[in-house]
Amino acid sequence: MSETVVVGAARVGRFATVLIVTGSAILAVVALAAIFAPLFTGWGPTEIDPLGTLVPPGPGHPLGTDANGMDVWSRLLYAGRLDLGIAVAGVAVAVVAGTALGLVAGYLGGWVDDVLMRVVDIFQAFPTFILALAVAALVGNGTGNLIAVIAAVNAPAYARLVRAEVRTVRESAFVAASVTSGASTSGVLWRHVLPNSLTPVRVIAPLNAGWAMLTLAGLSFLGLGVTVPAAEWGAMISLGSPDVVAGRWWTSVPPGLVLLICVLGFSLLGEGLQERAEAKRR
Amino acid sequence: MRIVRFVVRRLLQLIPVLLGVVVLTFLLVRVLPGDPIRTILGPNATPEDAAAARARYGLDQPIVKQFLDYLGGLVTGDLGTSIQSGTSVGAEIGLRIGPTFELVVLALAVALVVAVLLGVWSARHADRAGDHGVRLTALVGNSMPEFWLGLVLILVGYSVLGWFPAPSGRVDPDTNLTPLTGADLLDAALTLNGPAFGSALAHLILPVATLSIVVVAPLLRSVRASALEVLHSEPYVAATAHGLRGRTLLRGYLLRATLARLPSLAALVFGTSIGSTVLVEYVFSWQGFGQWALRGLLYRDYPVVQASVLVIAFCYVVVFLIADVAQAVLDPRVQI
Repeated sequence: MSETVVVGAARVGRFATVLIVTGSAILAVVALAAIFAPLFTGWGPTEIDPLGTLVPPGPGHPLGTDANGMDVWSRLLYAGRLDLGIAVAGVAVAVVAGTALGLVAGYLGGWVDDVLMRVVDIFQAFPTFILALAVAALVGNGTGNLIAVIAAVNAPAYARLVRAEVRTVRESAFVAASVTSGASTSGVLWRHVLPNSLTPVRVIAPLNAGWAMLTLAGLSFLGLGVTVPAAEWGAMISLGSPDVVAGRWWTSVPPGLVLLICVLGFSLLGEGLQERAEAKRR
Repeated sequence: MRIVRFVVRRLLQLIPVLLGVVVLTFLLVRVLPGDPIRTILGPNATPEDAAAARARYGLDQPIVKQFLDYLGGLVTGDLGTSIQSGTSVGAEIGLRIGPTFELVVLALAVALVVAVLLGVWSARHADRAGDHGVRLTALVGNSMPEFWLGLVLILVGYSVLGWFPAPSGRVDPDTNLTPLTGADLLDAALTLNGPAFGSALAHLILPVATLSIVVVAPLLRSVRASALEVLHSEPYVAATAHGLRGRTLLRGYLLRATLARLPSLAALVFGTSIGSTVLVEYVFSWQGFGQWALRGLLYRDYPVVQASVLVIAFCYVVVFLIADVAQAVLDPRVQI
């Protein structure tokens, strides 16, 4: 019996590694293609081909042109900069802000905890996308604002997650020992509580970055995120959506497919990390 | 009796949260940039016109008075008057919520059935080829931009194959459907209007498919995980060791225990599906609650924004409450 458990654990470990490697590879390819976009295309992301709008895929334009006469392939490559950049930056801000709030609320307890958690409750009384929609419509778009929107809608979940962990860690013997030996509150938080409360955050963050990309693209699709002519996958799909009824696939299908693959990269990475964390717990 | 007490207590706990939502939306729409009056007046409006319009909607009053008026209206069930259309917000919601409910309920129902069937099957064949296939499909579904999926289905189902109607509207106007609830399929069934029923069904298939594909993925993963947990639990292993028939094991031991964990997941998924619905309605020109709320937001129609945010928050928290009650009914160990 014990032997099968060991074999099972080894297999889980290998499966998790496959997931992590595949996910990272997908993300690396997309990121590199976005960074080195000029190497793979002669067209600029907002450059207009005066000879044709809605040209089907062919020798001059590998994926055709859109309704503005811009090269779809080139926009597809450049769009990764905004999509990955905003999503990752937004989630990073959310992790830092949410962790800080959760740490303070969980460790101090009392009325600070009550007030912070009630605010989190109000934020979490909405589905994430609806919240993002409302905030984005009110603050307006622009890269900085979009990062703030992504951060604002995701931070409450991290605050709750970290708070729960902190409340467990706070009760452990090593924290009590540190407090009784006269360490300052900030010292205890920084050196003992924080590092031991971050495990779930590490697993959730990659998954979250994938969802953030979907949120961003959804906002852009509705005209509330990145707007054309800037190159972003959701905005490209939005621009191409009227073509679908006419049977023109090349303006909207490729950006959606790349978005899907990129989000899948984050999902695979997150799934792998989760599997590994669970295997370790068993 | 305990359940009634639990529900009442939970409903009372909702009041401060919803009140917070009301205050927050009320303040946010007014503090942040954007002016609802400028969107209804033309470019040639004079400052006097603007002031008159402002006074008509009570926007010239001090903010505390505006808030108390609004709150007073809420208590009596009056959600205010839309600045864009000039009609009662409550009546507009009544018109728009039916089509959206039809879409969401059908999609969730399809997704739940598929998720339970596939998830349980996948767990019983864990770590074999079929299971890996199901899990990979679920991961892809989880990463799917729903608005793009809708467009792809339109491209294939309408533009290429021509099997489904164009993505505009919910029912063919020539079928003379008498609206009752706003949910067209239901209305057609109630008024025994055969052609309208067929037309409404044809219009529903693609958006319902879009929404349920996106919704099924997270459900499927959770059902599989909880079915796996049940399969490894002591009661199930004991039941297997006693040599019970396969059907008894499946129905009596596996399904029931797996389903007991489902309500809270379904509630969570309901939340994400509200967000997806806005996008799916937009893609299919569904003219439901989601599109209405989105327009209100874009035009800064204060009463519409306030009402739609409140309705969404209310639905969301009530669904969680229903899920907790359902869980308690299904799982005798849950103490509420």
